[in-house]
Amino acid sequence: MADTTVLKKDTFIMFKGVVHQVVDAQHVNPGKGSAFVRTRLRNVQTGRTLDNTFKVSESVDPVELDRSNMQYLYGDDSGFNFMDSSSYEQVCIPKELLGDRGLYLTEGQEVMVLMHDGQPLSVDLPKKLTFKVVEAMPAVKGDSAQGRVTKEVTLETGMKVQVPLFIEEGNRVVVNTESGEYVERAQQ
Amino acid sequence: MEKNWKRFAADSDFRNRMERRSEIVFGIRRFFREIGFLEVETPTLVASPGMEPELDPFVTEVIAQDGTRNGVGLITSPEYSLKKLLAAGYERIFEITRGYRNREPWGGLHNPEFTMIEWYRIGADYRAIMEDLEQLVESLVKSLYGRTTVGYQGREIDLSAPWMRLSVDEAFRKYADLDLGEMLDDVERFTQAVRDRGCETGEGDTFDDLFFRLFLRDIEPKLGWDRPVILYDYPHQMASLSRLKPSDPRYAERFEAYVCGLELCNAFSELNDPVEQRRRLEHERQERISQGKNAFPIDEDFIEAVGRMPDAAGIALGVDRLVMLLTDAKSIEDVFFFPAADLFGQRKGD
Repeated sequence: MADTTVLKKDTFIMFKGVVHQVVDAQHVNPGKGSAFVRTRLRNVQTGRTLDNTFKVSESVDPVELDRSNMQYLYGDDSGFNFMDSSSYEQVCIPKELLGDRGLYLTEGQEVMVLMHDGQPLSVDLPKKLTFKVVEAMPAVKGDSAQGRVTKEVTLETGMKVQVPLFIEEGNRVVVNTESGEYVERAQQ
Repeated sequence: MEKNWKRFAADSDFRNRMERRSEIVFGIRRFFREIGFLEVETPTLVASPGMEPELDPFVTEVIAQDGTRNGVGLITSPEYSLKKLLAAGYERIFEITRGYRNREPWGGLHNPEFTMIEWYRIGADYRAIMEDLEQLVESLVKSLYGRTTVGYQGREIDLSAPWMRLSVDEAFRKYADLDLGEMLDDVERFTQAVRDRGCETGEGDTFDDLFFRLFLRDIEPKLGWDRPVILYDYPHQMASLSRLKPSDPRYAERFEAYVCGLELCNAFSELNDPVEQRRRLEHERQERISQGKNAFPIDEDFIEAVGRMPDAAGIALGVDRLVMLLTDAKSIEDVFFFPAADLFGQRKGD
């Protein structure tokens, strides 16, 4: 058992006997009385979500996760497919469990897949990853005079990110996978 | 992630927001001056900071010239000092000050050091404060934008007075299909009702715990999206420093206001019964001790002031949250030059 500080987005807990993913967790201190954590949880068996209010002082049951090194193959309607590099066994993580983090996956990429009881639940991404920019509007004269210092570009995975004006189509950029923010232009 | 002050240097949106923040604080002062309130300044370093069991005051020492050490704390609210001024004969006062609360989250709606305004009126009850609040916010939004609506996180909301009034009792009926009146003194029954609504409860849940488990899940997220909502008349157990309703002492004259998911304030018809005040503080002090928290002495001066205080009403309003609402800021960190995470730790994404 652990205290409620483990209730963070994308962690997994045992709740009512079933593994749940924390979709959202918000600390609430109503001012008078105990403090609470308001959560949205996703049942990983059914994919359904429910809301629950935890008291901060309550204990919760984090789920032990096994890690295996896998290669990302492709995404399809059923989800994101990976292959264990040593056993060649393939697994699939449903789309809703990965959410926006699916946008960090590129074909052939090595990632750590997190499993519980043989069920793949999530991936551990490197903190920084490099992507090719596939769509970028050229910077327009006067942009910086307007106070604009960033623009939106599209990456090879379909993800959109705010970057400095000098980034062009075909550049490679480093993105922070926790914040989704641009870090720097990668060496070509 | 970049520290906030560097983001402010590069981004005109942030810069505009901080200029609006300054306008808002000026606007608050102008509003209260025009309706005859006196601005006062009271200490933030005191011998008896708040006694609320759920709050963790910052603790330090005042060392006298001769080396005598006094354990003191930073205020969690200026309420005690301001009530002494009411007892001293000041009739309409306000203070814009810093409040300090330790062990709070860094970011979202919280920062350990934050700006609040409190104002008090004697000879009035919480209804007069509701009207002050509506008028204040309406005047601020008009002077900032020349209209009464603002966009907040993709929603458009009209802040003009009067705001919607909803009693806590009505809110539970409407959003949780529950008759709170029947649960007031029956924790067992309340526990069952909360469970019947698919809400987990814990062993030893108090009335307040059950209240918030349901309130935070089913009620609060629905408040204040079309119009601001003043939620009033809390169960007597949650009276805090408010007086009970003369016409129905099962409820206390307390209100909070909700706008677009932001809880802005907490207000009371103030308790001025020193015996009851002492009882509540003793109770909170015992609660602190049983939780292993530091228990400051009861401020005897404050108890005496409560006994001398005429009928009065007052409110504590989070200025940072008000700035968030009026400048469409998602996180409290967006309205600080130096949020806690920049000063003391790492922000998400560092």
